[in-house]
Parts: sequence; C-alpha cells; structure tokens
Amino acid sequence: MSKNIFKISVGYVITFLFIITINFFIPRFMPGDPFTYLSSDESGMNVTYSDEEMQKYKEYYGLNKPLGIQFVNYIRNVLKGNLGYSIILNDEVSKIIISRITWTLGIVIISIIISCFFGTLLGAVSAYNRNGLIDKIIYSVFMIISEVPAFIIALIFLFYFAAYLDIFPLSGGFKPFVEYESSFENITDIIHHGVLPAVSLSFINIGNFYILSRNSMIDILQKDYIITANAKGLNKSRIILRHALRNAILPIVTRIFLSLGTAIGGAVLIENVFKYPGLGTLMREAVFFRDYPLIQGIFLIMAVMVIIMNLTADIVYKKLDPRLK
Amino acid sequence: MRRILGILLTLLIIMNISACSNSNDDTKAIAEETVESNNDIIIRLAGGDWGFPSPYLHYSRGPGGFKMYLLFDSLLEKDENGIIPWIASEWRIENEGKDYIFTLNDNILWHDGEKLTPEDIKFTFDYYKQHPPVWNSLNVNGKYIVKNVEIIDETNLKIVVDSANATYLERLGKARILPKHIWKDVKDPKKFHSEKAAIGCGPYRFVEYNREQGAYKFEAFENYWGPKQRVKAIEWVPVSDEILAFEKGEIDTVSPSPDIIGRYEKDKGYAIKTNKGFWGYRLIFNMEKRSELKNINLRKAFAYGIDREEMVDKVSRGAAIAASMGYISKEHIWYNDNIQKYSYEPEKAKKFLKGKSYSFEILTGNKGAEIKIAELIKMTLKDIGIEIKIKSVDMKTRDAAVKNKEFEIALIGHGGWGSDPDSLREIYGTDTQEDGSPSSNSLPGYYNEKIIELSQKQMKELDKDKRKEIIYRLQELIAEEVPQIPLYNTRSYFVFRPLKYDGWMYTYDHHYPEHCKLSYLVREK
Repeated sequence: MSKNIFKISVGYVITFLFIITINFFIPRFMPGDPFTYLSSDESGMNVTYSDEEMQKYKEYYGLNKPLGIQFVNYIRNVLKGNLGYSIILNDEVSKIIISRITWTLGIVIISIIISCFFGTLLGAVSAYNRNGLIDKIIYSVFMIISEVPAFIIALIFLFYFAAYLDIFPLSGGFKPFVEYESSFENITDIIHHGVLPAVSLSFINIGNFYILSRNSMIDILQKDYIITANAKGLNKSRIILRHALRNAILPIVTRIFLSLGTAIGGAVLIENVFKYPGLGTLMREAVFFRDYPLIQGIFLIMAVMVIIMNLTADIVYKKLDPRLK
Repeated sequence: MRRILGILLTLLIIMNISACSNSNDDTKAIAEETVESNNDIIIRLAGGDWGFPSPYLHYSRGPGGFKMYLLFDSLLEKDENGIIPWIASEWRIENEGKDYIFTLNDNILWHDGEKLTPEDIKFTFDYYKQHPPVWNSLNVNGKYIVKNVEIIDETNLKIVVDSANATYLERLGKARILPKHIWKDVKDPKKFHSEKAAIGCGPYRFVEYNREQGAYKFEAFENYWGPKQRVKAIEWVPVSDEILAFEKGEIDTVSPSPDIIGRYEKDKGYAIKTNKGFWGYRLIFNMEKRSELKNINLRKAFAYGIDREEMVDKVSRGAAIAASMGYISKEHIWYNDNIQKYSYEPEKAKKFLKGKSYSFEILTGNKGAEIKIAELIKMTLKDIGIEIKIKSVDMKTRDAAVKNKEFEIALIGHGGWGSDPDSLREIYGTDTQEDGSPSSNSLPGYYNEKIIELSQKQMKELDKDKRKEIIYRLQELIAEEVPQIPLYNTRSYFVFRPLKYDGWMYTYDHHYPEHCKLSYLVREK
C-alpha cells in the first residue's frame, strides 16, 4: 500500500516538475518580448523604448541573465512560494492571482454544479425513456447545445437578459463605487453579477454530463436488479434515482473533477464577454503582452489545480467503488 | 449545425437591435432629464484596467497615462492651437536654446494640502533621471536631456539642457511634476503602491481604483489652482459592450463603428464629433532584406498601384482619410499640401515597373482590419505584376519581427501622427549606418543624406517659422522618395450626450477627446 502511495507521489512530482519547466520555457520561446511595442490600438498609445531603456528594464526584471540562471532562480522562487513580479501590471504575481482566482473559481464551480446536476438528471431521464419521444427531444437539444460555442450563448444571454429584459447587469463582478449597507446586500450584488457568466459557462460541460449519464444509465438499466425493481412495481423516480443513478454515478464523479480544466478554459472567453474580473481576462492579457512571470504564475496555478483534481478524482473513485481498493 | 448556428446568430442580431431600440427611448429621456448644474455632473466612461494612475505604475500601452495626467500637472499644457502656460505662467529660452527659465504660478497645492515649491520641480527632474517614468519625454537618443535645474527664487527656476533642440520645450513642459515630500524616500517607484503615489497637483484627485474590474474614480480637487473643473467626478466603469452600455446610460461617450453611426445622426439627444486623423497604418519596406526595394521606381509602383481610397471605403467604411505620402497627417498643423500625391493609377504603376514582375511577403497583425488591408493590397498589386503573399501573426510577433528586421514588407498601425514633426527624424532621418537602434522606427536599408540633413537641422532650429519651412521641405522630399507608404489615417467617431456634458475638445496633436485634460475644465471664451 505504502509502495503504491510512493509510486503515485513520484508520478505527481515528476508531472509537476515537467509542468514548471514547460511553463518557464514556452513563454520565452514565443516571438516578441514584454518591452517591444511598435503598434497600438486606436484608443491608446504605445511607448517605443530605446535600446538603453530596454536594457534597463531587462536588468530590473532579471531578464538579461542567461536562460539557465533565470530558470534556476525561477525554480528556487517557486519553491519558496514566490511567483515573481508582473512586468505589465507592476505587482506581485501571487497577489494579482489571488485577487482574481476567487471570481473564476466561483463561476467555474457553480457552472460545474449546474451542468452536473441538470446533465446527469436529464441523462437519466433520457436513458429511462430510451428511443422514446422524450429521449429524442432531450438528446437533440443537448446535441445542439454541445455544438454551440459557449461564448455565443453568453452573448445571447447578454443581449437578452441584460440588455433587453434588463434583469441582470451588463458587465463586471459587482457594482463599482457602491458602499453596501450590509454583507447580505454585497453578496446579493455579487450573485446578481455572477448568474449570467456561471450559467453560460455551464453550457460547456452540460452536454458531456448528459451523454455520460445517459450511456452509463443505459448500461445500468439493463442489469438484472433493475429488471427486478421494475418487476416489483416500484415507481419510476425511485428506480431512476435510487437504484440506477446511484450505480451510474461513478464515471460522473470522475468527470466532475476532470471537467474543471475545460471549465477554466471556457471561463477565459466567458469572462471576456461579461468583462468579469476573473483569471480569464488576465490570462489573455498576460499572453498577449508576453508578461513572463504572470503567464508562468497563472499556468502554474491552473496546472496545480488540475493535478489536485486528478488526485482527488483518483481517491474519490476508489472510495466510491470498493472493487478498486 | 451551421444552419442552426446561423439561426442563432440571426436571433442574436435581432435581439441586439431590439435591445438597442428599446433603450434608445430611455436614453432620450435620460438626456432630456439630465440638464444638471455643472457642479453635479458625474461623467461615466468605459473602463478597463490600465494600471494604477501614478507616473510609474500605469501601463506603458493604452490610455492609462492620460488618466494619470488628470491627477498630475506639468509645467505646460496643450490646447487646440499649441502649447499653453500651466504650472509655469510664462517661460523664456536663453543661452542659445540651452537654458529654459520658467516662472511658476502661485499658491499651487498638492492633493494632500502641501504647497508646491520650485524644490518639487527640481526634485522631479532629478528623480526622473534616476527613475524614468513609464511615459518618459526626457530621453532623446537614449540620453537624459536635463543637465541640471537651478532654483532662481521662490517663483523662478532655470532648467539647463544638453543641447539646443526645438522639441525640448514640449518635452520639459509635459513631464509630470512629483511632490518631493512623498517621493524623496521612495527607492523603487515601480513598487510604490501606496495611494500616496497618486497625489499630484492636477484638477482631479484620486478616489478609487479596482484593478480586477478596471474601475477608477476621480473627484474634482476643491483647492485646485487652475481653471475650475466642469465635472464633479469622473468614473470609469467595467463595460462588456460599449454600444449597449452607452444606450442604457451606463456610460456617457462611445466610439461607434461607421456602420451604426446613423443611429445617432438624426437624434438630437446625441452629438457626434469626428476624431482627428492622428492614428494610421503604414507599409514599411525592408530594403536590407529585399534590395530591389532600394529602387525608387519600384516604390513608386507600389504607391500608384495601391488603392488607398478603396481601403478607406471598404475597411474603415469612410471613417478615414488616405494618408499623405509626406507622412505628416493631413490634419496636422504643419501639414504641407503642396507635395507629390499618389492616387490609384495602375497604368502609371506598370510603367514604373517596366515590365518586370516581383513577389513579396507582407507581414501583418491578426486584426480583421489589417488582414483586409493586406488582402486589398494583394489584389490591386497583382494587377500590375507584383505578387503578394500575406503572413498574419499576432501583434507582438509582428512587432518583434519589425524590430529585428525579419520581414520583407510590414503593415503596422499606431498613433502619434499628430505629434511634433520631429517624428520625421525618428522615422526617416535616423542615420542607420551609425545609429542602428533596432528599437527605433527606422526604415531598414533606407538612407538619404538630404533627408537626414534636414531632419537634423529642423531639430536644432529654434525659430518656429524657419523650422516650419524645413518640415515642409522634408515632406516634399519624403513624398518624392516614397521610403515607405503611409496608407490611411482613421477618423473614428465620438458620440456623446450634449445635454449632459458638452465640454469635449481636442488638443492640436491628439485624436481623442476623453484623453484631453481641458475636456474636463472650464474654458475661457
């Protein structure tokens, strides 16, 4: 048993080291650097630095040192918990990420709960009515939903629920420059702003949960004990929820943890549609402007989250299915 | 599935239009109701994170610096016609252009109540030498231009510069003045995140900044020494879609695309300004990599073979002007209209090619407009015998390739076309054989002694009229030589609600009213 744990731990440590190495080198191998600007957007200005100024900035951020030394320094700092200093945002990377990650995790977790709940439930209903009218309707709807990019859904929501019906705000994570009278008011405002991004994001995974649940349920529904339950005359919901879904849930549990990566990826686009203050907008900017420390920091945190989720999926799966112990 | 997507998109557009139409009536109502007294006006503008508004922490690109300008004043300011007195009530230039003597206004206070003194000015110029701010006007050719600052008395000071230079008055005049009592102990200004870093002596004082939301709030500084503020507060708020936010009254100005400007033209609740053509696209030739481009006839074939008016119509939908071949924008105060002009004349272009055919690669960014421009160039040049291959990459990759001269022809878009015409020296007049600065905007492989000579001469000429003559001559020469092809300057729209606020103005050298400090202040009639 302890040998097994050792093996798994070594596997994760190697994965982690591989990720931080890739994380360091890939941004630096991209063409361009954080200080070269020759073009600009129409609404803004750009600064073209002289060679001397660029040299000064490179020295300041330690980018003038050989790549090997930069890498060793990076590893040393990561192990100390120091993710570096953002070149573009002029602040500590860890501080920037902490201020954003809660927003992203908030909508990602809620979206996974929504997509898991509705996807699984409707998958079970669909499987129970396999090849019937209900199954066909639900199946078709989910096939369409899975094919439409989530940001299009987000735009539709933005125009319809925020602009046309005016029941949700157009953008942001909370009302700016407002002093709340109570924490309840504050939380309500945050939820109000988070509904559309979270619901839009849930469309990224809902199709997967539906298909997984439907397939898994179809397998289970053919088992002898379900035939017995039917023969005993138990009601439909009891058969679906208690006997079938409970046993079909194993692959869904794994999917919950694995869908985190997809959801965070989707959040990049959704957050940009709603100007939601999460990691998505930040990631786009960091890559766009070659902010090496920030790119490294964001991808490192995301990689660590995915590793933790995989590990959790392993553990939970084994707990739920005694045969794997 | 494509059909379904199509239906969804149609639905989206219909909802967009209906959403806009619905809010249009509301907007009129809001506009009619909001005839507020000036003291109560709160202007809301589209936000976005452009950094903390200190001279060291705003982002190097984008409009962050203009926000900082509202908090920090400088010795001089700009209006519609030129440089005007500001912290300095008057100035004179002595010692053959090496001494600048400024007389300061009295009773200028910092936002924390301390009084501004000549010591602050001296400290600022000394501090900037050690710690260059993000927008640094005080370095020329990599060297700091201020030799020293002498305080003459309580209201006068002398700034000694390294050489006589026509651009120095503007450069010294626009440096933002820092309060010595706050910055004197700051060793690393890039890590000075205290709210004190936003204390200036400008018309507005810092109230709030939220990086995640890209939200800022500034309020009128009640003890401001200069012109009275016309708005009580300026708020930059997060905006997902600017048109929707504008029509719902969440923001007070917008820059709509030419395709929807008609929505605002007939409505009295809105006013439209056309921004100055100080942002534009140009085509740079790399004559080091493709020596054929050193042939002036080939360059002229490009100039006659590219239909720039078509770009204005098709890419910018009419909201632009074909650029002057002398580079200086047609709306610049020193634009010379009597220079060689190049309209689309494919037959003339063919004559310049003398039956030869060529093939080049155009490097462009990945924005829609840039790709469309490149496609139009490809189509028109094909007719005269020049094959074009388009390579589209992201903005940073393109910029790096241009900097490292790894391109044949590059398409690039940027602002600053309204700035001091010394830009001609920076682009055309850099002696690349001596000063091979890869970060400058020079044209690889292009060398013209006369242009370099005039570029250097205008820089040292302190007499305004004589300098103007040189700049005019330079534009003539450049237009004849066609070292690169300025394509067009955009003239985007600026829509606002005049009943709420109508103070928007343009300085003589900038294209966007939101960025101009005087847009928010009472103007003398």
